[in-house]
Amino acid sequence: MSLPSSLASSLPSAARSPRAARLGGLAVLAVAAWLLPYQLNVYWISVADIAVLFALLAVGMGLVMGIAGQVNLAQIAFYGVGAYTTAILTTRDGFGFWTAAAVAMIATALTGIVVGTPALRVQSHYLGIVTLGLAVAFIDWITNAPVTNGDSGISGIPTPPLPGIDLSSQYLYYYLELIVLAGGLAFGLFVVHTPLGRRMRAMRDDPLAASAAGTEIRQLRMIAFVLASVYGGAAGVLYAGMIGYIAPETFSIADMFLLLAMVIIGGRRSLAGCVTGAVVLTIVQQELINLAAYAQLGYGLVVVLVVVFAPAGLVGIPGRLAARYRRWRGHTATSAALEPFQPLPAATPVAASGVAPGEPLLEVSHLVRRFRGVLALDDVSLTVRAGEILGVVGPNGSGKTTLFNVISGFYRPHGGSIALNGQVISGARPSQVSRLGVARTFQHLRLFGNLTAADNMLVSLDRTRTWWSWRYLCHPAGVWRYDRRLKRRAAELLAGFGLAQFAGALPGTLPYGTQRRLEMARAIASSPRLLLLDEPAAGLNGEERAQLAAIVRSVRDSGVTVVLIEHNMGLVMSLCERVIVLDSGSVIAEGLPAQVSRDPAVLEAYLGKSALRAPQATEAGP
Amino acid sequence: MRDRAMRDGALTVSNLAVRYGGVWAVRSVSFTVAPGQSVGLIGANGAGKTSTLRALMGLVPRAEGELRFGDRDLSRVPARHMVRLGIGYVPEGRHVFPGLSVEKNLLLGAYARRWDGTTRDTLGSIYDLFPVLAAMRGRLAGALSGGQQQMLAIGRALMARPTLLLLDEPSMGLSPKLVEVIGETLRRLRDDGLSLLLVEQNAMLTFEATTDCLVLENGEIALSGTAAELSRNSRVRSIYIGL
Amino acid sequence: MQSFFQTLVSGLSFGAVYALVALGFSLVYRTMGLVNFAHGAVLMIGAYVASTFYLSARLPFAVAVPAAMAVTAAIGLVIERVLRPLENKDFDLMLIGTIGAGTVLQAAAILTWSSAGRGVNSPVQTAPLDIGGVRIPGYNILVIAVTAVAMAALTLFLQRTRQGAAMQAVAMDHEAATAVGIHVGRSNAISFAIGAALAALAGALVGPMLYVSPTMGDSLGIDGFAAAILGGFGSVPGAIIGGLGIGVIGSFAAQQFQGYSDLVTFVVFTVLVMIRPTGIFGERTVNRA
Repeated sequence: MSLPSSLASSLPSAARSPRAARLGGLAVLAVAAWLLPYQLNVYWISVADIAVLFALLAVGMGLVMGIAGQVNLAQIAFYGVGAYTTAILTTRDGFGFWTAAAVAMIATALTGIVVGTPALRVQSHYLGIVTLGLAVAFIDWITNAPVTNGDSGISGIPTPPLPGIDLSSQYLYYYLELIVLAGGLAFGLFVVHTPLGRRMRAMRDDPLAASAAGTEIRQLRMIAFVLASVYGGAAGVLYAGMIGYIAPETFSIADMFLLLAMVIIGGRRSLAGCVTGAVVLTIVQQELINLAAYAQLGYGLVVVLVVVFAPAGLVGIPGRLAARYRRWRGHTATSAALEPFQPLPAATPVAASGVAPGEPLLEVSHLVRRFRGVLALDDVSLTVRAGEILGVVGPNGSGKTTLFNVISGFYRPHGGSIALNGQVISGARPSQVSRLGVARTFQHLRLFGNLTAADNMLVSLDRTRTWWSWRYLCHPAGVWRYDRRLKRRAAELLAGFGLAQFAGALPGTLPYGTQRRLEMARAIASSPRLLLLDEPAAGLNGEERAQLAAIVRSVRDSGVTVVLIEHNMGLVMSLCERVIVLDSGSVIAEGLPAQVSRDPAVLEAYLGKSALRAPQATEAGP
Repeated sequence: MRDRAMRDGALTVSNLAVRYGGVWAVRSVSFTVAPGQSVGLIGANGAGKTSTLRALMGLVPRAEGELRFGDRDLSRVPARHMVRLGIGYVPEGRHVFPGLSVEKNLLLGAYARRWDGTTRDTLGSIYDLFPVLAAMRGRLAGALSGGQQQMLAIGRALMARPTLLLLDEPSMGLSPKLVEVIGETLRRLRDDGLSLLLVEQNAMLTFEATTDCLVLENGEIALSGTAAELSRNSRVRSIYIGL
Repeated sequence: MQSFFQTLVSGLSFGAVYALVALGFSLVYRTMGLVNFAHGAVLMIGAYVASTFYLSARLPFAVAVPAAMAVTAAIGLVIERVLRPLENKDFDLMLIGTIGAGTVLQAAAILTWSSAGRGVNSPVQTAPLDIGGVRIPGYNILVIAVTAVAMAALTLFLQRTRQGAAMQAVAMDHEAATAVGIHVGRSNAISFAIGAALAALAGALVGPMLYVSPTMGDSLGIDGFAAAILGGFGSVPGAIIGGLGIGVIGSFAAQQFQGYSDLVTFVVFTVLVMIRPTGIFGERTVNRA
């Protein structure tokens, strides 16, 4: 049967699109997973049952570690809380299985909150040791508490009752687990690819830039831990119902490290990777059950190798091979190009900020900030007027970036205050400052390295508070619609900034000038009333600088007030209407660019003071 | 310092280019520092001054260019061996070892040499050059003021008895009075026959402390001449201030 | 009252061991920014190697222990070399790398010596000291004495030798250290080896006090790390105070709460870290975002 030529020519292109390929692959896997039990004998089905549980645990780990960037070595404790709560409630208190399961899930979520609390204050290795210690403490408790029967464990846990289906069969239990895993994986992927997950990934890549873009870091960390705990608890409940007997030896530190190995080897940043790692290592573990120590040696070595040579894990290997192949073939340059910038729609500052042009928008009063005894900001006062482009200049070390950092909320001032349209913002968190309408770029480019250009924009476009995320549970369709609206807006903005062809690229692959433009676009995406630009022209050539000037003027004409730190004096002279000069933490001059550049105090600050002779009359030089 | 062996080493830099993650910090810079000569490298921020020095030291990769010290090809020399060739380095921002005493800091400057009698003599001469360090020899370096730390950083570099001293913005963050002290110190070192390569934002200090200067702009040399000539050249001001 | 002092004495001897572990952690952390999750496993290897030299090879205890330290230091050098590409780049990956290394060491121990574990008889055969009804086993005194000597030796090394000063300099400022001619990579390797040797010493000393098993490093490692954090990373006095503190808290917790001692020590430590992440002598770890 031959197809009409039009259909035939459209089919291959659809098949070539990565989205279709991925969905197709997923469908194949789903069918294979469903049909699997029919191929397996009794031994292998029990392995499959365990593999699916570990996959569920691994997805939880992946969400908190790979997506949100939080070290979590307590996952085994969540597993244990789920299992033990179910066991105790059913055997000792006579609860029905499903009721006990529901209570167990709540208990695990509460444990997640407890474990997540240290994450609000400490990170990285400290968080690692705290979570590991909590896991050890949990194991200590279940080994000793009378209610858990200590080492003997708890037996006689009933099988979950389901009308018409006997779940004591391992084959049928597999389907129960598979459905839970599928649901968990689907929800996990949904979170990752929508605003909540995107914010978590931004937080993972650069918490500072993320908070300056409006991300509430602490709430997100807590949500990440609760998510991990829920997945862990679900796995624990299922485990209890499957085996009917639990004991402390299932929830050991060795198993915690095995779980960690699964996530690392599979690829912690990809949920599919986590599942892959879980399945592969479970099979290896089971096959080598009599050589358990060799298995441990093996996966320990593989973890070290992966961490040093292939941090993206197994799942990342095809991508690296493909990239290497492409380089070998010489397909290095992309054809994507920067397009011209489209001027933004004009508006007055009143529309953007509620303040009439020329009236004070930001007032900095007597600001003081010290670092280890050095006075970085010494009684700095300045006013930013709505609708202006203000330049902040000064020699190296004069306090310019510190000023921005205090305004942004990264540092608390030691004296003085800052008010935005009358509202005091000094001491506010960066995410609060962002919500009040202040956006910024950074001296040393801070784009989210593992997010595409479009995703970078989406993080900034999303102006909702974190608690808006309850919709993930109760109204996912609303989340989906919101996400699509954001994506349309992001595409418009990217096109406006000439970045449409780079939407799917990672920042690291972009030329430097393009990255700078993307950072600017990301800042504008948050619809700020005040834009702080920290050395936006650093590293740009003459043409790029001219484009930058045009963009800044257009941004101002759209109603946004701009303050920029710059060293390139030509740019400052042509762009800024007013200039403030800082030196050693104090304001030494203020006024029109032409005035300021003739001010003797400014000349001295930049060129230095002659100690030996009076300044010579200047002569025209060669 | 009086009996330092003089090598015939001239520092020759040809077409140096330095790149940081996609940005050309230095596009092309060429200059020479003859034995006993003092050269200043000035320019506005972001012009590439510090990158030039760090690339010389091998602390950042050099994308292109030829570097020679005497007859040695510097591109093959790792940063930690520079001191053995007689090149001392005073980093931007001082970078003293804050948890160690002043004396320990100085002694570490002579790490590449054996801790023997000559080191003690050198230490003595450093204390002569900077009496304030002698007075504070037991104090932790982190407790010193900015100016004192700058002297310590210079003293530490001198402990290895270098023939060429590289200084990165020694006047940064210092009061005018202290900048004068730095200037005088540099002149003394110059008089002793030490070759100097001074990177500075403070043009005036540079004109007084060195004999020849180069002005960097956007990673390239925009002006060069003797310090006396450049101190009278109004283009210098326009490069800095844009007017 | 007597039992109070008895518990205190026991706590101090364990505290000395924790202080050694804490010092090993601190040294490596301060010089390399690396939190070594393999430290507990290294301790365990030290305990096994020392007890093998002592029991099977019948070497005197005073020889077995330094020999074990040398072997373990060599293992430390290997681990550092393998993980060097990650140094100061990605802390989370480095953390996981050391967990992997620890797992490998534990598996190697099970394969070499079986998972059964062994008891080590005390090398001090004299009767315990009896002061006012409080019995102090001679071995506990030995442990405290050896720890004190090790601390003194390390302090002398760091304060009085060229290499020790160089290691401290590297810890404070890599670039300035390079500029004066110090080989940072080699310095880090030496730090790591010394850290491993300290862990081995701790393991060798604790052998006769506890049961030597492949999992002994887990909770000892955590307690040692807790001691390091409590005392503030990087100072010898901090490690001593932190170690003794954790030892004494643990000892009293074991007495009051029986099997829950780990849990109690841990809760106390977590609360302290949350309130004062700087430790008693140490550094800030809190960020504002």
